[in-house]
Amino acid sequence: MALVRSLRARVVLWVSVALVVLFAVTIVGLDIAFRDSTDRARRELLEVQLLGLIALAEPDFGGELALPTDAIDPQFEVANSGLYGALFDSGGRALWQSLSLIGRDFPVDDLPLAGEQRDFTLDVPGFPPLEALLMGITWEFADGHTGAYTFAIAVSLETYNERQQAFRRNLIGWFLGITVTMLLVISGLLTFVLLPLRRLERQVREVEAGERVSLTGRYPTELVGLADNLNTLIDTERRRLARYRHTLDDLAHSLKTPLAAMRTLLAEQKSRPQEQRHEALERELERMDQRVSYQLRRARASGATGLGTEPVPVAPVVDDLKQTLDKVYRDKRVSCTLDVAAGAVFRGDPGDLTEILGNLMDNAYKYCRGRVRVTAQSTPERLVITVGDDGRGISAAEAATLFQRGQRADESVPGQGIGLAVVRETVELYRGALDVGRSELGGAELRIELARAGLL
Amino acid sequence: MRLLLVEDDPNLSRSLAAQLEQAGYAVNAATDGREGLYLAREYPVDLAIVDLGLPTLSGVELIKSLRADGKAYPILVLTARDRWQDKVEVLKLGADDYVVKPFNVEELLARVDALLRRAGGWAQSELVCGPITLDTRTQEVQVNGSKLELTSFEYKLLEYLMLHAGQVLSKTQITEALYDEDFERDSNVIEVFIGRLRRKLDPDSTYKPIETLRGRGYRLAVARGSPDND
Repeated sequence: MALVRSLRARVVLWVSVALVVLFAVTIVGLDIAFRDSTDRARRELLEVQLLGLIALAEPDFGGELALPTDAIDPQFEVANSGLYGALFDSGGRALWQSLSLIGRDFPVDDLPLAGEQRDFTLDVPGFPPLEALLMGITWEFADGHTGAYTFAIAVSLETYNERQQAFRRNLIGWFLGITVTMLLVISGLLTFVLLPLRRLERQVREVEAGERVSLTGRYPTELVGLADNLNTLIDTERRRLARYRHTLDDLAHSLKTPLAAMRTLLAEQKSRPQEQRHEALERELERMDQRVSYQLRRARASGATGLGTEPVPVAPVVDDLKQTLDKVYRDKRVSCTLDVAAGAVFRGDPGDLTEILGNLMDNAYKYCRGRVRVTAQSTPERLVITVGDDGRGISAAEAATLFQRGQRADESVPGQGIGLAVVRETVELYRGALDVGRSELGGAELRIELARAGLL
Repeated sequence: MRLLLVEDDPNLSRSLAAQLEQAGYAVNAATDGREGLYLAREYPVDLAIVDLGLPTLSGVELIKSLRADGKAYPILVLTARDRWQDKVEVLKLGADDYVVKPFNVEELLARVDALLRRAGGWAQSELVCGPITLDTRTQEVQVNGSKLELTSFEYKLLEYLMLHAGQVLSKTQITEALYDEDFERDSNVIEVFIGRLRRKLDPDSTYKPIETLRGRGYRLAVARGSPDND
């Protein structure tokens, strides 16, 4: 049913299919039960009437059996009443036929033997459909002689059939009524149940149009997660956009200032010796390069939303980086020990983790005397990574510059600081913390702590 | 030392080639990946400098092909991508080092020098063979502790011999490594320079550092490492 787009249409469709099937089965069942019970009642009626006739019969003066009509059921006396009766002798001669036959012969050819009972339906011209009951008996008269007789009763099926039809019509009418009522109720209920979804949709549209900052209001428990996730997504998207704008502004600044400086330098070229001019240009180029690379690197950190991000195992990333750095710093023969818990995972963008670890480990390799140590542990709540070395360490003053909040690293820290500044900003995107301490190896130890809860 | 330079930016390529040549290397330059692969297959190379963003055949593909061909010489990657993921991938692929654009030419030269040294089996920038000490960074040569004045070509020749100390190097090999293609290949020139180098290194003919193997070439016959340490 991929074609049915609306939830309401789907529910209504499937409920009606279910009701139709359910009611069809019920109607057929009730119809059969009703027919059975009327069949049984009619049979009983035939038997009672037959026994009544037998009870009324008495011998007449001619030594034959006769039916005195004064005490008979009045239905036998009314023309076409639907109840017919007859009494036959053994030769098939009618001794009595009810007045309701109005002169017609009781429609039977084949009489049962004495002691035999026969029940059958008849469809003969001139009569409505009939059910007949015939019983052959032997009558013992007072003088001792006996005679064989047949009592016959027939009842019209017309009224019964009509009643069956009426019952069926009633049944279908009621069930149709119930179905329509139920669909109306369900449809109304759905409008009510789907109200929060409509609100969600409206609010998302408003956010899109910029008329709203986030999704607000109480949502039912089933939708709370969705609404929260959407809010996270909206928030991340907005922060990312803000970051890109800042980056662009910063980049423009970073590029234009050295460009202006270089243009000025070129303008005054006549007054200065060649050597000095080259040096100054070189300095400006260096400054531009540093700023651009810093801005690009911090802009690239994704600070993933925590939505749809699989946990990234830390160990393979550290291994890869160790191999890379071992190759790059081959001459230095650094002994790098890894102590990364097998279950340590990072919840975020894999590229960000590689960038954080790459910068930290590269600094450690660069400034160590010969030993580097990387550790990582994670609990369900947090991930802690440390990178230590046996270099000269980071002084308190350097750390202070580095961690001054909002400090743009390209303005303050030359060269080496850029990597750490990028790490700090990336970690902050994940609402984590970066600390500088002293390593057991004797040099600096950089410690990152990322909380699981910080992601959402 | 012959370098293969594959860089598609014409200005960068020309300027780099000129500075590499000035530093004493012979350079084969290609401006796209296919040409780079062709040159790598046609000429002997001691080191390749490969830009990652190349037309016709990407740098990554080129490095893969070179390694698949069994070329074991060092490969230095030039790249504008400075993400650690990219660096890790490039080195995993078979490159030996990377330099991120924009780079200083001095930095690039230092990396090239270090890679060539390592390929020759030297871990330090100071090459020591018996009494001869050659510092690849300062380009200074000392014999028995006293400084030796060498011309640029003599220095390159000695560096080449020392980097391949113990190996037999044919005249063709030496010519190809030290001269550019358009240079006239006259093997007598090598003989002349070997002679001069011998006189400067060993004026009294005491330890005969450079052996001539008739019909095969030359070999630096002094063992690696200083005699005091071994």
